[in-house]
Amino acid sequence: PRAVSTRGNAEALVALLVLATLYYTEGSSVARAAACYGLAVHVKIYPLTYALPIALHLQGRQHGHGAALAMGHHGKARSPLLGFLWQLLTNRDVLLFGAVAGSVLGSLTFAFYYLYGWEFLEHAYLYHLTRRDTRHNFSPYFYMLYLTAESRWSFALGLAAFLPQLLLLVVVSVVFYRDLAFCCFLHTAIFVSFNKVCTSQYFVWYLCLLPLIIPNLRMSWRRGALLLSLWFLGQGLWLAPGYFLEFKGYNTFLLIWLAGLLFLSINTFVLVQIISHYQREAQVVEKNKQR
Amino acid sequence: LGAQAVCQDAVVTQQLLQEGFHRELLLQVELGATREDLGRCTVAARTRLPPGIYVDPYELASLQRHNFTKALVIPDAVDVEAPEYLASDLVVLLYMTPDPRCSGCFTATLPVHGRYHRPAENNGTALVALKSPEILICCCDNHLSTECWKPSDVEAACLGRSSHPCQWYSVKHKPVSEELIMQIPVGLRQHRFLVCVTTLLATVLCSSMILAAACRYGH
Repeated sequence: PRAVSTRGNAEALVALLVLATLYYTEGSSVARAAACYGLAVHVKIYPLTYALPIALHLQGRQHGHGAALAMGHHGKARSPLLGFLWQLLTNRDVLLFGAVAGSVLGSLTFAFYYLYGWEFLEHAYLYHLTRRDTRHNFSPYFYMLYLTAESRWSFALGLAAFLPQLLLLVVVSVVFYRDLAFCCFLHTAIFVSFNKVCTSQYFVWYLCLLPLIIPNLRMSWRRGALLLSLWFLGQGLWLAPGYFLEFKGYNTFLLIWLAGLLFLSINTFVLVQIISHYQREAQVVEKNKQR
Repeated sequence: LGAQAVCQDAVVTQQLLQEGFHRELLLQVELGATREDLGRCTVAARTRLPPGIYVDPYELASLQRHNFTKALVIPDAVDVEAPEYLASDLVVLLYMTPDPRCSGCFTATLPVHGRYHRPAENNGTALVALKSPEILICCCDNHLSTECWKPSDVEAACLGRSSHPCQWYSVKHKPVSEELIMQIPVGLRQHRFLVCVTTLLATVLCSSMILAAACRYGH
């Protein structure tokens, strides 16, 4: 049962903790947000990616949005980037968040290690490092990784699969951190869509944030319905050959691979549409003020 | 049993039901003895599964709770995600139940699953061979004559009884006429180059589109 929770189905719990983290962060209760965040990362590792947007958001709030990025240029910083990182890491809120989240996570890890021993560490964390699962899944990389699992290119290809994901996550954090819920939604949607392994269970991770951003989506109902149908269609087109492979024994690997690529394209299209139709009221006001 | 001059060999048949990666292994055995002779003995089949097939211990535990199947798996920890070339053999001791078809008939089903195999060069199917199982009987109240039944050492308890003074016997039977073959689809290595190039192009293209949108519509 504990293995299932660390590797399986405690999705509702994680969704609740992530939402609580966002709620408290937006409401300036940094310590409570950090506690929820530490607990969330303990239950599932994926919220770890929210660290960058949350840090940027906390820092941006203190120094004012426009100044956040300009800060790096002042002083005798050898490089603007280093200067900016230094600002980020020495910000009071960021430090508080890091300290509380770190201690919550650390004490939970220690407590569970005390209760369950090495088995806990193995199932909760180490398993993800050494896991080699090339069975068919929604990921566009599945067939590529399956065919090259034992070749000398395997490591390089794994890295090539990781880089677009990493680049996108960093850029999205820097560009959208001001609207934390939207940023986290994009973060997880990108993380899941470009991941080396992708199953239906992962969709819950970003769907739970969708209600937070829908009010700010300036999109007609028709467009929204079209995007939703496309998303379901993408899954259906993958599930059909997947069913024939797993339950009927037909060799449909090429079809599954193509369906995976199509699903990635559909996800990309939906994300681009969401990005281009998202508008916060505050943004409109800011733009008007700047004129 | 002492009155019989000739021992009758048991007849074992095995079948794989369903298709694809998830199958049911159906074992049927017809023992030379009648049910009365066997009394309250327990009949079990010991089968060795090659690395290409596995059983899910959680599934078995669940079936056991609902009294559908009872089986012991050795080793009892199974890596259900490992591909065939990283997995090892499993030994399953499957307890059989009386089959209403005939007096000395017993049957059992075991849900099995195929593992992923290495991609092949040209042929899109891998074959996994299932050897004939060994039939074992465990008797506690009566002891069977050793003419037809060979005492055997089995690391398991008789159903519902402690192992002492119960005794396990192995049954001599006609070898199953053919090995059972399970066909598993595999990827084709000849696709490797095309798949790698196309996948990477697609992911680079998609990530560029999202990057462009983020830079255009972001702050």
